[in-house]
Amino acid sequence: MEKKRIPKLIKELTKEHEVFAPVKKESLVFFEKVSPGSEISLDFQNTTKSPKEVLFPQTEILFTYDIKKNGVEIEKAPELRKKIALLGIRPCDAKALSLLDKFFSSGDHKDFYFSEKRRNTTTIGLACNRPISTCFCTSMGGAPFGKEGMDLLLQDINDKYLIETVTEKGDKLVEKLPWLEDAEKADIEKARDLARDAERAVTSEISGMSVTKKLDGMFDNPLWDQIYKKCLGCGVCTYLCPTCCCFDVLDEATTKWKRIRIWDSCQFSCFTLQGSGYNPRPSGKERMRQRIMHKFNYFPKNHGENFCVGCGRCVQECPVNFDIREVVEGISTDIWRKKNG
Amino acid sequence: MESAGEGWTPKILAFLCNWCSYAGADLAGISRMQYPPNIRVVRVPCSGRVNPYFVIKALQHGWDGVLVSGCHPGDCHYISGNLVARRRFAVLKDLLEYFGIEPGRLNFSWVSAAEGEKFAIVVKDVVEKVKSLGPAERLVKR
Amino acid sequence: MHNAEESIREAAKKLLSEKKVDLIVGHEQGTLPLRTTPCFIDKVEDVPKLVWNENCDANLSKYLIGRKERMGVVAKGCDARSIAVCTFEKQIVRDNVVIIGAPCSGLIDKKKVRTKLEGKELLEATIEDEQIQLKGEGFELVLPKKDFVCSSCLTCRHKTPPIYDVFAGTKVPEVEADEFSDVADLEAKSSKERWTHFKEALDKCIRCYACRDVCPLCYCKTCFVDQTMPIWFGKTTDLSDTMIYHLVRAFHVAGRCVDCGACSRACPMNINLRELMKKTEKIMKERYNYTAGLSLEKVPPLGEFKMDDSQEFIK
Repeated sequence: MEKKRIPKLIKELTKEHEVFAPVKKESLVFFEKVSPGSEISLDFQNTTKSPKEVLFPQTEILFTYDIKKNGVEIEKAPELRKKIALLGIRPCDAKALSLLDKFFSSGDHKDFYFSEKRRNTTTIGLACNRPISTCFCTSMGGAPFGKEGMDLLLQDINDKYLIETVTEKGDKLVEKLPWLEDAEKADIEKARDLARDAERAVTSEISGMSVTKKLDGMFDNPLWDQIYKKCLGCGVCTYLCPTCCCFDVLDEATTKWKRIRIWDSCQFSCFTLQGSGYNPRPSGKERMRQRIMHKFNYFPKNHGENFCVGCGRCVQECPVNFDIREVVEGISTDIWRKKNG
Repeated sequence: MESAGEGWTPKILAFLCNWCSYAGADLAGISRMQYPPNIRVVRVPCSGRVNPYFVIKALQHGWDGVLVSGCHPGDCHYISGNLVARRRFAVLKDLLEYFGIEPGRLNFSWVSAAEGEKFAIVVKDVVEKVKSLGPAERLVKR
Repeated sequence: MHNAEESIREAAKKLLSEKKVDLIVGHEQGTLPLRTTPCFIDKVEDVPKLVWNENCDANLSKYLIGRKERMGVVAKGCDARSIAVCTFEKQIVRDNVVIIGAPCSGLIDKKKVRTKLEGKELLEATIEDEQIQLKGEGFELVLPKKDFVCSSCLTCRHKTPPIYDVFAGTKVPEVEADEFSDVADLEAKSSKERWTHFKEALDKCIRCYACRDVCPLCYCKTCFVDQTMPIWFGKTTDLSDTMIYHLVRAFHVAGRCVDCGACSRACPMNINLRELMKKTEKIMKERYNYTAGLSLEKVPPLGEFKMDDSQEFIK
């Protein structure tokens, strides 16, 4: 597909879908709902916030209710059957969605709200030709041209996008776009070369795979006393993270009662604060340990993969430059252990 | 709270200190002085008890105006509660107006227990001012 | 600023080897260009890690609050001023802290750099004299440093710490600056325009509380936003709640804020929180002729009163 046809693609998509695509705002880029004619940006490194918020919004009304004399009247959740298209999602963020699938919809517990929306979502990804210095997707089992979590993958080959279908959903969508041209062999080869170059361009490498084992039995290790020290306990890392999905549920009333799900962060002091006033994670140390352990030990044990995709957002935006790569590398190579006896 | 129809009148939340302004309001009532019925009174021990957060919260809940009234400087039952409050409210008013809350939504007065008439005048002024601003919209949680 | 680096290290070495402190809180090289990261040094051999440059943007006074150890801290003007405020408020024990005062020539605002680069990635940055050199894939720029200095530093008058125990490097003379020029632009607008301005600005807020958590004056054990029994105000991203959070926080630091600019630098959504904070400073200056963090004895304006305080707004 020629690049100049992106507006046409959006127009076609909006017929059946709510389309979310990257939009530039000052020096930041966000996933926003777009309509035909909207200005979108497919020339970005990655979005400031992750696209998880399209499926797992920071504030989500689960249902509303009214307390009446003869009981409680519940109004159901808003329509979840709308079809969503995520256009321009990066491979790391798409992989994050497939991890969120595991979190929200595997095993006995199926989260209705997330899985419904996820089921109705088509991801039309955009491969990374130029990974940046904070990208470490390859260390987390991803790749700049990774297809995990994608339905379609756009690959930028100069003036054209090579569209690769990944799933049946993707196939069906392509069928509805008869104006797409067939790919030439040269284009496919070019994309393959670009993918290889991009993978090489991910310069930040950490031992992301061996860390899970290392973390076994490290729960009481004194190194946690060191690691958390500079962390100030804000929610930047977790809120920008494409995989972090801890939430809190609360009731709020203005004219009507609402049951709302909001994002929570393991770095906050009121995270896991119990009704009695007791908090099993009373200080930054326990909270930081929770973040690292959940991402690199508990989740891999339950689901077989690290709960991090190496997008680098937390590295970029942390107010005190707390670099998760250093911590993971430090743990897997025993640097921290040696440093602290 | 309501939309500005024909018969719209503002609702104003008044924090009155127990020792002066509340007694002043009482005097206005006993003396059968007429003033608009748009205020709802919260009796507080002292104007110094009024946390700025109360005022902000009132605006969030859709009150069209807020009045805080206490003893004249020097007359505070607790000696200096109103003097501490005075600084606090100066900062609060400046800050809220800078933030874009219309001047006139926030009102402060000193009314003694003997000033029933002043109380009636203050309320009349406040109601007129808020009326001219229309229903509160900024900061109101829908 | 580099000339002070060696002196800071010497001072740190001396303090540690003479056992005057248990720990030095300073800055070390970060993992990204234009970044440093806070570090805690308890061994003399680690002292060379300490750096001092235009990227030492963390306000280190945050790390002294509520600590029992004897600590040496590397402090620029604003850090020292917030140490003064926290000391007055009994959050920092002055006798436990050795302030290594350091001269500051203004921090680099990485957001200004990012805006300039329009989405291109910065791979290397060097600052020399008054020039900043930015390098990345396919570009190399040499630009005047003054264009990328943090707004808070542009109007800062106390680049040399007003309070310190040891001084490293050479002092920067106090400068006259139009402190409140940033606020004046907004003040000139109408009430409605200001409302729209703040509404649009704060709409971006994701309630990560980075602004609160980097602020040395936000040391409340339980912040009002974290009050859950009962909940004080909404925790969602409802705009009204978000605006109230920022308003109340601004009010709470009024008369205490030293305009270190940490809140603005920390915001991942590029919200210029200084616009609010600076106004509180201006109110304090105009009404009560008070500047925070210049003394350890002076009571801040909201902690005292005078019989003849201004009351033109009270009927």
